[in-house]
Amino acid sequence: MDIGHLKQHSDLNFKVAQAKKNALEKLRSRQLMAYNERLFQADANTINLVSTLKQHSQDFYVLDANDNPCHITDPEEFLNKLIERNQETLNAYHQLHQDLAHKKTR
Amino acid sequence: MYCFNTPAVNYHRLAERCVAQIRKYLKLEITIVTNLETFKKFKPLGMINYKLVDNKTTNTRSYRGKNVAWHNKERALAYDHSPYDTTILMDCDYFVFSSTLLELANTKFDVMLHDKVEDITGEDMIIGKNESTLPLVWATVTLFQKTANARMVFDLIQHVQQYYPHYQSLYRIRYPNYRNDYAFAIALHQLKLGNFIPTPMAMLADRVDVIDSDDDGIVFKYNDCANFTSGQDVHIMEKEWCNG
Repeated sequence: MDIGHLKQHSDLNFKVAQAKKNALEKLRSRQLMAYNERLFQADANTINLVSTLKQHSQDFYVLDANDNPCHITDPEEFLNKLIERNQETLNAYHQLHQDLAHKKTR
Repeated sequence: MYCFNTPAVNYHRLAERCVAQIRKYLKLEITIVTNLETFKKFKPLGMINYKLVDNKTTNTRSYRGKNVAWHNKERALAYDHSPYDTTILMDCDYFVFSSTLLELANTKFDVMLHDKVEDITGEDMIIGKNESTLPLVWATVTLFQKTANARMVFDLIQHVQQYYPHYQSLYRIRYPNYRNDYAFAIALHQLKLGNFIPTPMAMLADRVDVIDSDDDGIVFKYNDCANFTSGQDVHIMEKEWCNG
């Protein structure tokens, strides 16, 4: 492959990598969720934590994104909201990811 | 929102676009603090609260290689100017393309703002290293509630503004002109208050041109590259893109 081709690929890959990075930042930003006046990131960590604690008790405390404690009295509802938001953002990211993969293989 | 035209920049054009985005994504009541001269330039925007003030005109900034007027000192009075219990104080060059700010506003805090930024070109054009001995915050979007702590923060910001050369020297701030980011950072640092928005603020430096936009995002160009955003709030430092 000549250097012109390689440069084209390099430029395209850089653009795709940057678009992925921006999309991930957007995803993280959209995962911010208010609950009981506290702020949570609807990511895998929070979902796993809430899911685990829920198995032990129906009433517990967790730290929010700013390390403030939040009393969770309805873990089922909280977990559902977290999962809903998480999947909503991941679906959007998945679509963009497919578009970018398509761009790279064209 | 604070909006004062300068000889170099029609900030009212940015504010008009900003209002349209807020209406679409946040659906909140809007108050624009401006001066009479700028107020006369606004096209009819429907239900907007205007607060007319005589703004200070003593500050300048560097923009695309020129030194231009920068009327940014009224923001220190936002606590008194705001008629709301919870306020999203926003620069008119910050454009919302999502409802993320509503989530933030529905939580409990005194003052909340960004302490991290993300240059969405990936070229790291925004942050200089060792610009001060202070952890920098970004006052571009500042949420506050009418609490005693928030009152203290804004009182201290006014004090910092009044004695800025002293604080500039104390914190070894390299930036030569008064900048709200530093005044807010100093006040929060001195009072040990403030919450930070967990995700960075997406930003485009003034060297980046915005070449197209719709109500979902923008297309921007830098060097020989073009890219776009979609559904992502963004702080755009280029000031001419809304001039049409």
